[in-house]
Amino acid sequence: MNLVFGSVVLGILSGGIYALMAVGLTLSFGVLEVINIAQGMLVVVGAYLSFALESYWHIDPLLGLLITIPTLFLLGFGIEWAFLRPLKQDRVALSILVTYAVALILEGLMGLWFGDNFVAIHAWYVDAAINVFGLYIADIYLIGFALAIVLLGAVYLLLYRSKFGAALRATVQNREAAVLIGIDVQRISTLTFAIATGLTAAGGMLFGATTAFNANSMLDLISRLLMIIILGGMGSMGGALVASLIMLVSVDVVSVAYTPTWSTFVFFALTVVVMVVRPQGLFGAPPARKV
Amino acid sequence: MKRNRMGLIALIAVVAAVVYPFVFSSTEATTIVFYALLYVAIASSWNIIGGFTGYISLGHAAFFGLGAYTIALVADHLGIPGGYGLFLVALLGGVVAALFAVPMGFIALRLRTIHSFVIVTIAYLFMFQLLAFNLLGVTNGSSGLAIPQPNWSGAFFNMPFYFAALVLAVLTVLLAYWIRNSRFGLGLLAIRDDEDKAAGVGVDTWKHKFAAYIISAVPIGIAGAIYAYFSSYIYPQTVFDPMIDLTIVLSAFLGGMGTLLGPILGAFILQPAQQLLTFYTGAAGWDLVLFGVLFLVVILLMPSGIVPTIVERTRRARVREAVQKADETVPTPDANPAAGGGPR
Amino acid sequence: MFSVRRNRAALVALTASTLLLAACGSTPSSSASAGPVKIGISLSLSGDFSGDGKAILQGYQLWAHDVNQQGGLLGRKVELVVKDDDSTTQQTITNYSTLIGTDHVNLVFGPFSSLLTIPAEQIAKRYGYVLLGPAGGAPNVFAENYKGYAFVQPASVVNNLLSFGAMLKSLPASERPTSVAYATSNDPFTQPQLPPLQSELSAAGIKSVYYQVFPDETPDLTPEALAIVHSGAQAVVLGTTSVPQVQAFVQTFIQQHYTPKVIIATSGPDQGSAFSSAIGAANTEGFLVPEGWTASANTYQNSKFVSEYLAKYGGTANAIPSDAPEAYSVGQIMQQMVQKTHSLDNATLIKALHDTTFKTVQGPMSFNSNGSPVGSGTFLVQWQGGNTKIVWPQNIQQANLEFPKPAWH
Repeated sequence: MNLVFGSVVLGILSGGIYALMAVGLTLSFGVLEVINIAQGMLVVVGAYLSFALESYWHIDPLLGLLITIPTLFLLGFGIEWAFLRPLKQDRVALSILVTYAVALILEGLMGLWFGDNFVAIHAWYVDAAINVFGLYIADIYLIGFALAIVLLGAVYLLLYRSKFGAALRATVQNREAAVLIGIDVQRISTLTFAIATGLTAAGGMLFGATTAFNANSMLDLISRLLMIIILGGMGSMGGALVASLIMLVSVDVVSVAYTPTWSTFVFFALTVVVMVVRPQGLFGAPPARKV
Repeated sequence: MKRNRMGLIALIAVVAAVVYPFVFSSTEATTIVFYALLYVAIASSWNIIGGFTGYISLGHAAFFGLGAYTIALVADHLGIPGGYGLFLVALLGGVVAALFAVPMGFIALRLRTIHSFVIVTIAYLFMFQLLAFNLLGVTNGSSGLAIPQPNWSGAFFNMPFYFAALVLAVLTVLLAYWIRNSRFGLGLLAIRDDEDKAAGVGVDTWKHKFAAYIISAVPIGIAGAIYAYFSSYIYPQTVFDPMIDLTIVLSAFLGGMGTLLGPILGAFILQPAQQLLTFYTGAAGWDLVLFGVLFLVVILLMPSGIVPTIVERTRRARVREAVQKADETVPTPDANPAAGGGPR
Repeated sequence: MFSVRRNRAALVALTASTLLLAACGSTPSSSASAGPVKIGISLSLSGDFSGDGKAILQGYQLWAHDVNQQGGLLGRKVELVVKDDDSTTQQTITNYSTLIGTDHVNLVFGPFSSLLTIPAEQIAKRYGYVLLGPAGGAPNVFAENYKGYAFVQPASVVNNLLSFGAMLKSLPASERPTSVAYATSNDPFTQPQLPPLQSELSAAGIKSVYYQVFPDETPDLTPEALAIVHSGAQAVVLGTTSVPQVQAFVQTFIQQHYTPKVIIATSGPDQGSAFSSAIGAANTEGFLVPEGWTASANTYQNSKFVSEYLAKYGGTANAIPSDAPEAYSVGQIMQQMVQKTHSLDNATLIKALHDTTFKTVQGPMSFNSNGSPVGSGTFLVQWQGGNTKIVWPQNIQQANLEFPKPAWH
């Protein structure tokens, strides 16, 4: 089996996992006009929750999502209600600070609770792999990709086939106009942020099952997730998915075909070049809002 | 009258800073204020683009790192020994930072939405960090670079660094003051309020933003070089450090964005607080929680920063007082205090 | 009226905070000649290196306890003054310049990692202090050429893997691996270890089929691991800095059903139970790691050190992190220098540093003028049946080398 082809497959599968982590970020930007710096930390919180369920109560991580997704949904609800709603002016700028502070608090709490040691989530499907044309593909990546498709599909249906979705999309297009036509923007915002955070729990579980992590992992994650949503176009769900695939495939291919040391740089440079040609990102709407 | 009073207070502050290391000569006292002064320069300089125009750059640590690598490489290749001469080389750090700022600003400022600008500047920082790691032939990669050290005695050692940082801080604040009170500065503030409107009334917004971006890189490059010289050895992750950007932005926000006094106050609160916190507490975890909670409180109670909030409160109190006295005297509204609190 | 008060308030706040700082700065300084002997140390008790930092602190404290039981240094009790550096160079500089310049400690001990040792070395040099480093052995530390510095481990970092090369060459030609894959983090501790090994193995006809450097913060090492699998190397050398990095490689190797004949990692397998719980106890079998110390070694005061460590901190002998004996050795060397010179004067001590062979729990040690150690070198430890055993060199081995490595479970 060709190594480059293998890395493309791997990139696509793990790209699905990253999409699951990034989509919450792009949704909350689109609807709430906030940049959620805490997203990386929320991924880590989701991973720690799955880890705790698995190691203390022996609950299978996939099954555990039934607990962790609602838990993070509530956490997201609380964060929006307590810290984001009060921001009236300069939302983009102030949200960076507020969510950074939230991330710090969560990082401190996770560190106090779980210590600095790296941990990984274990399950039978983490080490197992199936043989596809001579390439072993780990079950966890297949499960992760399938889970990403299912959850992203569900959110897609919610956005495009429901009343809530129609109101949400109206809010994305124009916050002020949505208020004028009687949409409860406040309620939409809170629910969106909660759903975005809930989805992150799934991304976190998959992250923790494929990578050893600790509370500090959030810094590296957030920079990658921000790059993904800006490349895809901020606010665009499809964009987040495509950009995740581009990122992971390009990083993996450069790593095996050339060298790991330049792989991340290539992706960053690619993103900047795209931004120059297309400032709104691959799938973003042309800038309606000015600075 | 008011301008004179402000000038007097500024003079007193500078004199206090000059006298300080002679009164409190312990290495700890001078080291901590040295870092604080360095961050006064950095935050005030960042404020020229971030605060005045509203284009929040989270990648100015790239200029810090460029300055640091400049002094290390120049000293190494030209064989310059440790001593006062290296402070002149530190100025080159500012020049190099400005040269790099030209293409960087050209690309980033084309993005007219603030969030795209923010994220591309983050990308810059990580790209430079990766370059420093990967360009082994130039930067020595992860093994880092040494900066030649002067053979000053331990008791005296901090003094030249302290005064270099003080001079840089004072000059940067003066630069920011001059810009704020110039036509150029008015243009920058107009961009922050409404870029389209500014363009409509004839401000060449592109030139203004571009110039502000390049200018703001210079003092940060010099500060990076001084920092590198002081710390004697640099690694990619210690000078191209995202924490530097966070500290800059938090200082500016905490004190008050776009005001002159804000970044100064913010840097003087934040930088020592961080150092003392790690110095005197060993409990990892609680310090993060404490820091985070403090920030939330400040941001939620004073969303525009400490200085503008205080200015606003006293103004309101004065208006109230004036209204109470309205029977006898005519109130003198003073809507634009000298210390800042720009039009928001 | 109000504007005056407002401005004055700002100024008061500013000067108040300055005064506060100054007050913190002028903690009462001890006199240098009476009272206890103060030893200043900056350690990473928080941040990235906190695991190692805390283990080093255990070694220092154990030594201080022991030396005080024996009556201290020159009849004076030893007191450790420890400050947290949060794993940052900036705080390390502040800490050492405060410890020496303000607190006037008599002696200093080194921090964790080469990264923080270099700035510590600069401050020590500035004040002419001896600096014994338990964990600063990268080439750039020695490049500073400070006579007062010494790296207290039995081999400098560049020579860490040479015992592995010697072991491979000792295998009969028919069994010896013919190809080797190298992957290393770009860390200054691991990266320099590989080139000397590579040139030695190439000279012995063991071909390198893969050689890549990866960024230390890479969250996902699967592509690199896949490339090693693809190269089909019979031997794998991992320049890893932590357990999760080894775990990332091993996870992919297991998934891809790839078992090399022999595998060694520079760091990770030395972490005892943290390692076995991360990769699974069964999968540790046959893993090699270079070590400078083991609990069972017959070295100066070693059995005493081990029993005291276990009594104070618990656990098993195998789980003692090697940071602790390295730090303990720093204390032993300092004690021997002071006893030899009858002096606490740093200039006098620096002279003694270079004309003495010291006895430590890590074996006998002396130092070159740049601080690099002349010691007994590293030996190889292998995981066998859930425990670590010395397997090389043969004169001190506790078990025979298990070769080839059994398949993963």
